[in-house]
Amino acid sequence: MNQLRGWRLWVLIAIALVAVALPLFVHNDYLMQVFFRIVLFAALGLAWNLVGGYAGQLSLGHVAFFGAGAYGLAIWTAHGVPKWLAFVLAVLIATLFAAIIGKIAFRLRGPYFTLSTIAAAEVLRLIVTNLNITGGAIGLSTPPLFSIQGFWTWFYYSAVALAFLTFLVNLWTSRSRFGYYLMAIREDEDTASAVGIDTANYKLRSLLLSAFLTAMGGALYASAFQYIVPDSVLNIDISVQIAIITMLGGAGTLVGPIVGAVLLLGASELFKTRFQESHLLIYGILIVVVVLFLPEGLVGGLEHRRRGKKPSQPAAGASQGQPALADTPAKGGR
Amino acid sequence: MRFRSFVAFLAVLSMLAVVPAAHAADGNTVKIGVITSLTGSQAAFGEAHKNGYMIALDEINAKGGVLGKKVELDFYDDQSKPDQAVQGVSKLVDQDHVAMLLGSYSSENTKAIINPVTTHQIPLLIPTATADNVMDSKSPWVFRICAGAAAYAKTWIDFLKKNGDPKTMVIVYEKTNFGQANMQAMKAAATAAGIRVLATEEYEAKAPDYKAVLRRVKDKNPEVIYFCSYLLDATTLMRQSQEVDLNPRYYTAAGTGFSAAEFPTAKGAGKNAEYTLSVSQWLPEAPWPHAKEFDAEYFKRTNTHPQYHAMQAYQSLMTAVQAIANAKSLEAAKIRDALKNIDLKTSAFGPVKFDANDQNQHPVLITQIQGGKYRVVFPADVADAKPIIPAPKWSDRH
Amino acid sequence: MVGFLQACLDGLLIGALYALIGMGLALIFGVMRIVNFAHGAFLMVGMYASWLLFDRFNLNPYLGFIPAGLLLFALGFLVYKALIQPIRERSDFMQILMTTGIALILVDTAQLSFGADYHQTNIELVNRSLHFGPFVMNAASAVSFAIAAVFIIGLQLFVVRTRTGQALRAIAQNRDVAPLMGVNVTRIQGLSFALGLAYAGIAGGLLLPALYLFPSVGEDYTLKAFVIVVLGGMGSIEGAAMGGLVLGVTENVTSLYLGNQWALAVDFLLFLLVLSLKPSGIFGRQRA
Repeated sequence: MNQLRGWRLWVLIAIALVAVALPLFVHNDYLMQVFFRIVLFAALGLAWNLVGGYAGQLSLGHVAFFGAGAYGLAIWTAHGVPKWLAFVLAVLIATLFAAIIGKIAFRLRGPYFTLSTIAAAEVLRLIVTNLNITGGAIGLSTPPLFSIQGFWTWFYYSAVALAFLTFLVNLWTSRSRFGYYLMAIREDEDTASAVGIDTANYKLRSLLLSAFLTAMGGALYASAFQYIVPDSVLNIDISVQIAIITMLGGAGTLVGPIVGAVLLLGASELFKTRFQESHLLIYGILIVVVVLFLPEGLVGGLEHRRRGKKPSQPAAGASQGQPALADTPAKGGR
Repeated sequence: MRFRSFVAFLAVLSMLAVVPAAHAADGNTVKIGVITSLTGSQAAFGEAHKNGYMIALDEINAKGGVLGKKVELDFYDDQSKPDQAVQGVSKLVDQDHVAMLLGSYSSENTKAIINPVTTHQIPLLIPTATADNVMDSKSPWVFRICAGAAAYAKTWIDFLKKNGDPKTMVIVYEKTNFGQANMQAMKAAATAAGIRVLATEEYEAKAPDYKAVLRRVKDKNPEVIYFCSYLLDATTLMRQSQEVDLNPRYYTAAGTGFSAAEFPTAKGAGKNAEYTLSVSQWLPEAPWPHAKEFDAEYFKRTNTHPQYHAMQAYQSLMTAVQAIANAKSLEAAKIRDALKNIDLKTSAFGPVKFDANDQNQHPVLITQIQGGKYRVVFPADVADAKPIIPAPKWSDRH
Repeated sequence: MVGFLQACLDGLLIGALYALIGMGLALIFGVMRIVNFAHGAFLMVGMYASWLLFDRFNLNPYLGFIPAGLLLFALGFLVYKALIQPIRERSDFMQILMTTGIALILVDTAQLSFGADYHQTNIELVNRSLHFGPFVMNAASAVSFAIAAVFIIGLQLFVVRTRTGQALRAIAQNRDVAPLMGVNVTRIQGLSFALGLAYAGIAGGLLLPALYLFPSVGEDYTLKAFVIVVLGGMGSIEGAAMGGLVLGVTENVTSLYLGNQWALAVDFLLFLLVLSLKPSGIFGRQRA
């Protein structure tokens, strides 16, 4: 299952080189922040890819882990815990949330699963807005992990490191038995279960791994911008953004989330500057156009299955046209 | 299919190739950066800000600008999120090289930019954020033109003590930063002054039905109800208070919704608004010069009356430009010093002078709706009517 | 006790409007398995349509909801033909993306056209109350309940008694077999999408006097609509009606005893509870 054939490998190397060398050419805090955001979301997209791409479970609640990481860091440091320890604690607790959410959500399939992830993230947001310890709607300050001059460069490199880590995890997953089982679950969960794969276990594992990485991203983000409110780190828009980046870039591929992040976030920032109040309109049009004309995502090769192959039923139900892996002949695919 | 995909791919790429040229500092204009919430949950207020800024901009440029050049505003939309506001500081200062900053709208977005502004060493004038923690850092670069939440609470306590001295209160507030911050400020001030806060009722703003909340308040039977509500919730709250037959001695509020121009009219709560007391930083009936003209100009442009947010934006820009004129320079440190020493005896927003903490001691007014109109009832030196207390019961009103 | 019953009554009144929104989504989701993230945005369009008619022509929203509904019906058909039908065969992923994009377009267009400012629609009826015994009922709420009830029952009858309605249910039950029974799937799907949005439009018109109007007003309602549909059992129209009423009552009773800020959280907790314990919905038919 060598994904990295031919041009894809070169694209990857080019991206990596550009990413590492970038700060040498950019001396401007604003651009550094924009690139930080782009690379961070590439990492988040790659993390989501484990659940949404390989396992084929469309989660739209990933912001719960992002926000848990962010708020975890803020709350622990507010109680005197040293920042790096707080970082670790925050990520671990977020992973614990993932275990709880996963146990409930994975009993469901298809759109039911998606809706339950949305509900879980929204419940978290509402709880955070209502409690005092989280600052409610007023929000919390978060300490910067790096407090030296030019710290944006450090944050940028942290994001690159995280992206690299998530990429490696993706790479390992795509070649390992774990990944193979996930893809089997994605293609046909009932059959996978019938041949003896412990589907609940593997789905949960992919979620835990994904949540762990996402929470790291959330804590990093909070630390960089140093102030969080529920609206900025627990908003469903972030879940949707992560999913869109990966799906439009190409879910289940290695390069897809990266390309998606670069293009979509870059576009978003450009539109904001250029179009001010109309930027969301342009962004919406962009999404519609890409969905209509680029059915396989930008890095291609996903959409093979026809919908309606199985009769739809709730909870005992079928997967509806899940994305297939690039370059791998999918069951019943073209 | 492959070809189509490739073409579309190129099209998408080309959209990004339209890289905005870094704005070279145009030698012919004075650029002032504005961060506000043009989209997102606070967009309505960001819009009000923008309208206020534009009216001021047009007035300033009609008089020739400042230092012999026209003034140009560089807006950045923070999408109602604090991390975007932080990014805005970098863009406006590092990329666009503005002379100084105004903004943002909400308290959390403003608090978020205090550190970056201090690090970048650029003066910031805050128009609207009222949370007290915004000024905590005591940064020499940060100035606030509006009164803070603690000032609201203090003024209320003064007023209540002098007008009937009630002993119990319930605070009803919306689940936002504005609501929570004002609830906390009032709770602290009231308790310190010997008024028992029987309960604090939080609600999800913009809901259609608050009757359940109001019934809970009625059960507690407080003398004073203090609302921290925006805009149209005020209308719903008063209408439903009447339905629920809630009769405290005082209906009071932390401004905004209860100070909106439309509130006492048929477009708002109409007769239900009568006797409500509210705090305000400014209203068209304020005893300051140019207030009515601003109201008229705003109405001409937008077909609605301005709330004080728009005036705060207007006056911030006016003050900023005055400071630049006084400094006779675009150097950040000189503008900062000019702001520190500025002393406008009067303006459309009242006197502007920053104290040792760079806070403008803006007088807070208390108004009451009498006969369908706002009357200023406190402080005594600017009052034009006496307050009517207690508010008559609903059943006694016609 | 009176307080509790009063809260239930208020809950039922608003619940009828929720029911309309939920039934609209149930039509779309049940028949087409389309996860319509733009449902709330279309509701907003209906509200703006009614508001414009009120503002310019002084048309009472309790009449203005009719043109709003018709507009949404037409719009729904157009959107279906242009944007939904071409991707009908694609995965859920892409549909969610598409409807998200549509929602962004609608909301930002509304903001660009009408500004971000809030608008309130004050009609005289809103200020009147009906009293009976210890209970109070807002006159406007009563009227909107009555109108909503007509449409709820109407849709139920349509789905059960008419041929088109039965075709709709056939597709909901088994999409692959339905064409074998002579059902024109494409046409019926287009119709159900348009009808689902029309109901959102009607609900918008009826909600207008009760809510404030601003471009993002629909956001909360998209999620609420999904909660209602799940409560009622996916694809079940009468279930969605019940779900709407249940949601209205639950929210109000929660507000009464726990405070208003928990009402929305309870919506989602209820949602998760139902999904975990009885995924076919409280009122859903038991499926295999």
